[in-house]
Amino acid sequence: MNNRLLSKGMLVLLILGCCFPAVQTYASSKDPDTLVIGKISHNPKKHYRYLKPMVKYAVERMQDLGIRKGKIRMVRSKEQLADMVRRGDVDWVTETPIAAAYLHEKSGAEILVRKWKKGVPEYHSVFFSLEKSNINKLEDLVGKVIALEDPASTSAFYLPVYAMLEKGLRLIKLRNIREKPPADMVGFVFAREEINIATLVHMGIVDAGAFSNTDWNKEDHLPSKYRAKLSIFMRTSPIIRAVEMVRQDIDPAIRKRLEEILLQAGNDPQAAPVLHAYQRTKKFDKLSRDQETMIYNLRQIMDVVDPVL
Amino acid sequence: MKKIVLMLLFSCFSSVLLGQQNVLEPLSVDHVRTQPHDAIISTKGGIEVTTTDGEFSLQLGGRVLIDAAVYSEDKNTLGNGSELRDIRLDLEGRLYADFIYELSIDFSDGETDVKDAWLGYDANYPWRYTIGHFKEPFSLEEMTSNKYLTFMERALPNAMVPGRSLGFGINWVGEQITLSAGLFGDDYNDDVDDEGDEGWGATSRLTYAPFAEERSALHLGLAVSYRKLDDEQEFRFDSRHESHLTDIRYLDSGKLSQSDSLTLFGFEGAWVSGSLSLQGELIQANLERKAYEDPSFSGWYLQGSWFLTGESRQYKQRTGRFGRVRPLNEYGAVELAARYSTLDLNDVGIEGGSSDNVTLGVNWYLNPQIRLMANYIFVENDIFADADGDVNGEDEPTLLQFRAQADF
Repeated sequence: MNNRLLSKGMLVLLILGCCFPAVQTYASSKDPDTLVIGKISHNPKKHYRYLKPMVKYAVERMQDLGIRKGKIRMVRSKEQLADMVRRGDVDWVTETPIAAAYLHEKSGAEILVRKWKKGVPEYHSVFFSLEKSNINKLEDLVGKVIALEDPASTSAFYLPVYAMLEKGLRLIKLRNIREKPPADMVGFVFAREEINIATLVHMGIVDAGAFSNTDWNKEDHLPSKYRAKLSIFMRTSPIIRAVEMVRQDIDPAIRKRLEEILLQAGNDPQAAPVLHAYQRTKKFDKLSRDQETMIYNLRQIMDVVDPVL
Repeated sequence: MKKIVLMLLFSCFSSVLLGQQNVLEPLSVDHVRTQPHDAIISTKGGIEVTTTDGEFSLQLGGRVLIDAAVYSEDKNTLGNGSELRDIRLDLEGRLYADFIYELSIDFSDGETDVKDAWLGYDANYPWRYTIGHFKEPFSLEEMTSNKYLTFMERALPNAMVPGRSLGFGINWVGEQITLSAGLFGDDYNDDVDDEGDEGWGATSRLTYAPFAEERSALHLGLAVSYRKLDDEQEFRFDSRHESHLTDIRYLDSGKLSQSDSLTLFGFEGAWVSGSLSLQGELIQANLERKAYEDPSFSGWYLQGSWFLTGESRQYKQRTGRFGRVRPLNEYGAVELAARYSTLDLNDVGIEGGSSDNVTLGVNWYLNPQIRLMANYIFVENDIFADADGDVNGEDEPTLLQFRAQADF
């Protein structure tokens, strides 16, 4: 073998050597003719039923782009979902703003449109207490206990805790509902479900509670006989209810088509049962750059709030 | 040669370097790479397993209903007692994304009885196709699982409802409307030694819910069923009063020979407003007979319930029936209920009897899956309600019965 030939061979090896690691780490396991929607789920059987009609509806309108199949991937955690988006195993995600902010930071996923989940474009958190209590503002919670839902909740954990921290309040997680916080701190407990939050406040076991304004009007989460004795003493700023995201490196033609499909779905009679199944979504619409940035900035809320745990 | 070695070294170095730059540290501690067929497992007593792509799932559950009854007898001996009313294992799931199935077996009465055994095709939402052994779509009370009924037994007119048969069904669901229809043969355990053709039937049900929120709903329904009877051409309606612990079927039309076909009409209504609910149904049966006058039988019921503890009956618009009650309080939910029901099997010389039942009920839901029930029933039979001559008519017993129920 002469040196020239060997040099050329080495050059090929060099190129392959440069490329190989990239191919190995970023290779997607999914077929190129498949559109995959992902979701964080603790009830995959239920979520499959509502995701399936939507992905089918979208795929049927992408045949000319070479998309032939739709798939669903459900995972337990936002970390798993971010992994899958980064690897290209998931193209499209439907999530709440807090999860969206995390996915954007960790996987580069980008917001495509807003989802009017359960018919509403945005929601906010409400703080409430017994009407006869002397709690009229967040500062009045010092030395008292507030019931929240669980550490993954947007409206019944992240937003209310962030609001309290912004006011300069110091928070402490209590081990049980009977425990009392230090006199200069606000104690919080997790009640797991909205109805438990309402019941604890109504029975006077805790001093206040917080969840979304939609929960406030939902009889299952706050029966009217409870509501009559409670009053809201503070509301947070509204945030977007839910969004659809796509991975950063998705084929631009598919991204554009998906956006078009979703934006017109609200006016398409064929999409009506699909939207109804899809968490009773009323329609999708486009967010402004500022609104998107506001969602991405919710990541800061996680950074501020997570340490209180 | 030196150049070649340098290039090789550079190649290796660059591989390592670039590799380090591009290797993604997994964010998830659960698994580096989740495969589509990895499973998510959960339980609330039963067990549910679903693959992460959702295309395969399996749910194993069951129910145990234990009854006891005390009869205040009038003209006939009924016999106090207890029984396992329903001991069932339910298996349902999904296969290859588009196929769904259910298999449920009842072990009460010391026998094995197949309840639901069907395969469905679920690829074209909102349409669904089903083949196998399942309930013909008729009657709100019949379509509601016995796990979620307000009273221990269904009302008297349920004796005319077709129940489960072997057949093919199609379902469509809209935002306010559901439509179910099917073609059916006989029940799966129809005697194969019978000579001649089996009967067949066509049944359809339409429901409309002008509103269906979590604590308020209005349900309207209409169902029609036509059945061509088998070659034996014998037809019979019979019914116990609203207790399963006695075998006496006071209401009994007897065998009606030369019966050709049966047409059923069902009208349904239900209203939920917070803790209050009302529900009622009217069912009419028209039997066509050769060489005899065609009889018509009918029955109806009206019931109301009130949750003392603030809960609400859970109406499911997508299936047009009621579902599970979830207590709001730690000590559970308490429901008071009352029902009037009547069934008349007397017509054109047929003396099957007529009966009115008034039931008072109280239910204590300890949690969403366990409840205790008590029903107190006043029975008033006419003179023809004599179990086709086997017992005395005009019997007016009162019944007190209890149930302990768990499902998982």
